[in-house]
Amino acid sequence: MIVVKDLKRYYGSGETAVKALNGVSFEIKKGEFVAIMGASGSGKTTLLRILALLDDATAGEYTIRGLKVSSLPEAERSYYRLTQVGYVFQDYALINEMSAAENVYVLSMMEGKSKKESYKTALEALEKVGLKGKEDRIPDELSGGEKQRVAIARAIAKKPDIMFADEPCANLDTNNSKQVLDVFKDLNDNHGQTIVMVTHEHWHTEYVDRVITLEDGVLVSDEMMDESGEEK
Amino acid sequence: MINDIRVGALIASSSVKRGNKKTLVFIVFVLSLIFMNLVFLPSMIGGMTVLFTGFMQDYPYGDVVIEPTGDNTYINNADSVLKKVRAVEGVRAATKRLDVGASIDHKQNVVGVTVTGMLPTEEYEISQYPYIITDGDFLGELSRDEIIIGAMIAGTGFGSEIYDNLGEVKVGSLVDVTYSNGVKKTYKVKGIMEGTFELVDLNALVHYKEIEEVYGLEESKATSVVVRIDKQGTEEQIQDKIREAGVNEQVFTWADKSETLIKQAMQSMGAIDIMSKFVSLIVGAALILIIIYINILNKKKEIGILKAIGITPRSIVLSYAFLSTFYVSLGIIAGLALYLSLMLYFQANPVVFYETMEIRPVIDPMLLIQSIITMLTLSVIAGTLPAWSVSKESILKAIWGR
Ligand SMILES: Nc1ncnc2c1ncn2[C@@H]1O[C@H](COP(=O)(O)OP(=O)(O)OP(=O)(O)O)[C@@H](O)[C@H]1O
Ligand SMILES: [Mg+2]
Repeated sequence: MIVVKDLKRYYGSGETAVKALNGVSFEIKKGEFVAIMGASGSGKTTLLRILALLDDATAGEYTIRGLKVSSLPEAERSYYRLTQVGYVFQDYALINEMSAAENVYVLSMMEGKSKKESYKTALEALEKVGLKGKEDRIPDELSGGEKQRVAIARAIAKKPDIMFADEPCANLDTNNSKQVLDVFKDLNDNHGQTIVMVTHEHWHTEYVDRVITLEDGVLVSDEMMDESGEEK
Repeated sequence: MINDIRVGALIASSSVKRGNKKTLVFIVFVLSLIFMNLVFLPSMIGGMTVLFTGFMQDYPYGDVVIEPTGDNTYINNADSVLKKVRAVEGVRAATKRLDVGASIDHKQNVVGVTVTGMLPTEEYEISQYPYIITDGDFLGELSRDEIIIGAMIAGTGFGSEIYDNLGEVKVGSLVDVTYSNGVKKTYKVKGIMEGTFELVDLNALVHYKEIEEVYGLEESKATSVVVRIDKQGTEEQIQDKIREAGVNEQVFTWADKSETLIKQAMQSMGAIDIMSKFVSLIVGAALILIIIYINILNKKKEIGILKAIGITPRSIVLSYAFLSTFYVSLGIIAGLALYLSLMLYFQANPVVFYETMEIRPVIDPMLLIQSIITMLTLSVIAGTLPAWSVSKESILKAIWGR
């Protein structure tokens, strides 16, 4: 469903340009749970942002279901972000002045659902990430793990085609990380949710189908995993 | 668009609900001061106008004034005019006056004045002259060779340092009056009047008969017939009725007469008024813009996030338009409360000019409405522009600053 061809992203220009992505190509099929790994600075976040249409590639081609999204006008990109993409930010990126429920249902409202319906969707999503009863708290009244889960609820509430998550467990302890990964696994197994997740924890690969590894902006390995997290 | 409005309202309301209350109070306070600034000075100026027009009615013109037609110096047969006027329904009182030019001298001091010849007993119903005698007494029916002198020319009243004066004229002093026709006569000062108004305090009053004699007038001549009416606001109807009653002289309302004078006086006031409004508006607009801009800079990341998750820039801009409208509405309400309490205060404790001129501010509903609309318009622009410019920034830049 996602096809990336020779994707490049340079920061700056000329001699001093940082080649964060230097020609990356791969495909992601519907229903896959993919991990993107690599050393710090290898270009993982850069790639994910481009895939989620938060940033533009310098060169290369990017299509989703045959649609060349790299050249869409901003209004359509915005609509696409709203309706098809869920993005879980490394630093949660919640709106501090909105309650957990509001953070989630603002998107449903944007999609044109009634307030009541939006609220119901939000509660369901929050329940799915284990935050039942905490829907009226604002981010400041939640722990890091809970905030991360609100961010996930926000991403999954609209049932996106693809969900992107940038180190969703970076600020969480093992226990909380497992909870988050279980949510992802459940979505993937039981709802066929396509997930692309950046991580640098090796044990996370137990949960995924496939691991793409980057090094200095190029793809160095792309492997399918078996159930135990070992390479096939 | 409906979705944009709903989402904009949700963002704005959560921002108000959970935002910093101290900031909110501060913003509202500043906005209320901006509003006050827009409406306060005009109210004071309005108060001065009322005071000024009050003077015009209380002294030279009454409610309606009749003056000679064309080049005539005098109304001929003022008594017949008076008879007609007094018969008009709605007229409370009327009298005739003779205004002439003269110079007064006392101990080598000379000042030019207008001497008004009047019928003292009738003036009680017509003007404030009988009531503003600060020293001595007002003229009586039998007053001959007696004169009332304005405090400014007497050299005792407020303002006498600005104008030529006679230097300490007191009740009982003798002054020489040289009339415009050359006749010179000595008068004893019967009283000093102080109306704290140049048109009054720079003049002198004598009995009507004095002027008649000096100028050798016959058959009840007058330079003006001053009319007071029962009900304020009916001046124009009475004016018409007087004309219909067969008065062929020129009939003016006090407003007609003072218009030119007030226009002159108010022109400079008006200019100050407009300038102060203009400055207030600029300062107000800049303040609103700064407040909201800072507010938005603090929320840049939030705006980036909202965009990143698919909220349309339009709803974001709308949310700030709602927010600033909300702030400004509160500011206007607070400003109105502040303004009205100040108005109440100044009604009870008027600003005093010239020691006795009490200025009570006037509340002009049109001005209030105008200011409210101006503030609201400004706030929407001031709130929307910065939000719009931030919402146009790239998501990466808004969230991560690069
Ligand atoms: N806005 C930018 N301007 C200049 N260089 C940038 C910018 N953003 C990222 N880079 C550089 O691009 C390279 C890739 O960055 P990226 O954030 O994609 O790395 P990453 O793989 O996500 O690293 P980490 O694991 O530390 O998050 C790095 O060398 C980084 O310094
Ligand atoms: Mg990263």
